[in-house]
Amino acid sequence: MIKGSLRMPRDNDSAHLLDRHARGLQNLDRMARYRENDPVDLAVVGAGAGGVTLAQRLARKGWRVVVLEKGPFWDPDRDWVSDEKGSGSLYWTDTRVIGGSDPIEMGKNNSGVGVGGSMTHFAGYTPRLHPSDFRVRTLDGVAADWPISYAELRESFERIELELPVAGQDWPWGDRHSYPHAPHPIAGAAVVAWHGARKCGIEMRVGPVSITNGSFGNRPHCIYRGFCLQGCKVNAKASPLITHLPDAIERGVEVRPDSMVTRIEVDERGRCSGVLVNADGREYVQRADAVAVCGYAIETPRLLLNSTSTRFPHGIGNDSDQVGRYVMVQGATQVAARFPELLRMYKAPPPEVSSEQFYETDAARGFARGFSIQTISPLPIGWAEHVTAEGHWGQSLREYMRDYNHWTVLGVLCELLPQAENRVTLSRTETDRYGLPVAVFSHSLCENDRANIAYATKVMERIWDEAGAQDQLTIDRYAHLVGGCRMGFGPEDSVVDSTHRVWGVPNLFVADGSVMPTQGAANPALAIMALSDRLAGLLDRKRT
Amino acid sequence: MTRRFEPEGLPRQRRGVTPGMVGRYPDFDVLESAGHWDEVTRETVLKRVHDVPEPRFFDERETETLTALCDHLSAQVGEEPKLPVLAFVDEKLADGKRDGYRYFDMPDDGETWRIVARGLDTEANARGAPSFAVLGVREQDEVCHRFAKAELYGPAWSALNVSRAFAIVTRYVCEAYYAHPWAWNEIGFPGPAYPRGYSRFGSPHLRNGETETFEALESYELDPVQDTKKRGLD
Repeated sequence: MIKGSLRMPRDNDSAHLLDRHARGLQNLDRMARYRENDPVDLAVVGAGAGGVTLAQRLARKGWRVVVLEKGPFWDPDRDWVSDEKGSGSLYWTDTRVIGGSDPIEMGKNNSGVGVGGSMTHFAGYTPRLHPSDFRVRTLDGVAADWPISYAELRESFERIELELPVAGQDWPWGDRHSYPHAPHPIAGAAVVAWHGARKCGIEMRVGPVSITNGSFGNRPHCIYRGFCLQGCKVNAKASPLITHLPDAIERGVEVRPDSMVTRIEVDERGRCSGVLVNADGREYVQRADAVAVCGYAIETPRLLLNSTSTRFPHGIGNDSDQVGRYVMVQGATQVAARFPELLRMYKAPPPEVSSEQFYETDAARGFARGFSIQTISPLPIGWAEHVTAEGHWGQSLREYMRDYNHWTVLGVLCELLPQAENRVTLSRTETDRYGLPVAVFSHSLCENDRANIAYATKVMERIWDEAGAQDQLTIDRYAHLVGGCRMGFGPEDSVVDSTHRVWGVPNLFVADGSVMPTQGAANPALAIMALSDRLAGLLDRKRT
Repeated sequence: MTRRFEPEGLPRQRRGVTPGMVGRYPDFDVLESAGHWDEVTRETVLKRVHDVPEPRFFDERETETLTALCDHLSAQVGEEPKLPVLAFVDEKLADGKRDGYRYFDMPDDGETWRIVARGLDTEANARGAPSFAVLGVREQDEVCHRFAKAELYGPAWSALNVSRAFAIVTRYVCEAYYAHPWAWNEIGFPGPAYPRGYSRFGSPHLRNGETETFEALESYELDPVQDTKKRGLD
């Protein structure tokens, strides 16, 4: 197999618009500038996976698009460091209040800020959803069906996989498929997981990761330095900053960093007319013929709820009290294992090998839906969180930490079910620096969730036992965020229709992970981009 | 106070600084690789070694009390040299940096740290000492154990969830400690790896694993799960 791929995307020149010897975008001096009073075709709120992909696609269809991003416009050479603690600016660290019986810790784990969104610091796993994910209510009698099918997203998955590009072995689970780039070599830490899994009859595969394995336009090969979660300084790991934005800018998209959208403006007919922007303290309205909110599962509902008016006294799109509901995370318990060998898990990308053998419902397990298994490789601060979670501190903490190089970690992504009360609301007492009520995120597990997590944890323990681990450490945690403005069949139990339009507001779209009615056991980045690709395909060409 | 809790035979550091000058990689100094790091990363990391921030967030009394707490949480009581954990915690809090969430039953992280300081001093008062900082080491250790088990009571502690407060201060301590090159020397972590990267990372079955010349070689090995149980450390 050749390194890399002969195939390049047809309608996205991003990889060629980058420079081989500098990581920042090269065409910013050519970026379009639109006037505030001159309505653009689309104002996009949030420059992440959903927003940037949508902007790039629509710019190619002649739309005039402005993307408003709360955080900075990153230059990886200048702004990012190959260091765990030094990467704090990549995370959304404005306060969110968390509660419920199983609160979800936010920040570096699941929230990004700045141009490129959370994908700048996601691990890099980009699995597809399975066909069953779209019909969970029909198949299992729980959760919800999507108003669209897997078949309607298949080509979008394929297009995005080519653009990232995704590297991995031929995929035997869900809808069988191959990847544009060959699987990466795997490190010692993943080798032991692979052997352990095989011994207990669990198949694993290398990938799928959106990390170049061979050159790709002007993006270089991965150098296996292990800092995927700290922002890729190499330009090898995908984020919309490098996979879609260079092309978007070339086609007339304007990105305004450091610009927080604080409300969606509505005209007397109940259509949205633009967005109110706070750019470093200066407030202005950007007029737009349509608005796409792409702020992810916390900020998208928060913006809709904060956008009250005479027509929408409870927030835009919230006539049926659905905005902010059904927010989901995945049960992401990790089990670490100790081996006599030195595994040095800091090397190579943290995402290496994974299994979807337990993805689908198996009635014998006693719960609906399933989970995937993936290797994870925390750096020292992340590893310390593992150790302290087990109650170690002082001498015992130091002793475990000195042993860092002997450990490796498996994690699961358990599909947790959507629940109406797992929701984002607005604080009644606390506002942020823009004067907006902060988000309150309440989260509790249901019985099915607990059963799934308990079963998945046992599977990981079995893999490590078979691999010959001397000892194990378990940490219960959660990962990813989807839902909050889910897509559905009618306004009574969803926020957007199958074309991402907010019920009752035809020129307001939501295009991010918050529209997902279920989440499967897959990392959400690929699905979010694929949804934006599909949405753009449904919209008309504006100009030639 | 000597390092009586260390495992027997842990080597003295020959090259590279570690807190207390012991570690499993006695001939490793991550700072010798600094010339291979990109400039912005190098600046960020070296600042931690050469430019320890002055306190801005905590007052003098809080600083003394919380330094003593950090010494226990990071097992640096009596160590030389000592990694200045609280200075980095203070810097983060003074800069207004937080981690992006707050539990519904907790105040702001900065306020949590201050309440912890007050609570520890009150506990010391009850034991006849003017502050936690001047309480005997053995008693400090006992208070820390009770803090870890959320068994501290009184007006200060009723303002928050004590077990979450312990988790928060421990998280800040670990972030400060394990961001420091001295800690990387101690645990054999080669630190920043850009632009050099790795090309040898495959087989774990070679002696010391498949390694680059600049990676740390271990000269002492011990399973901490067994060892900490045996010595009753938790």
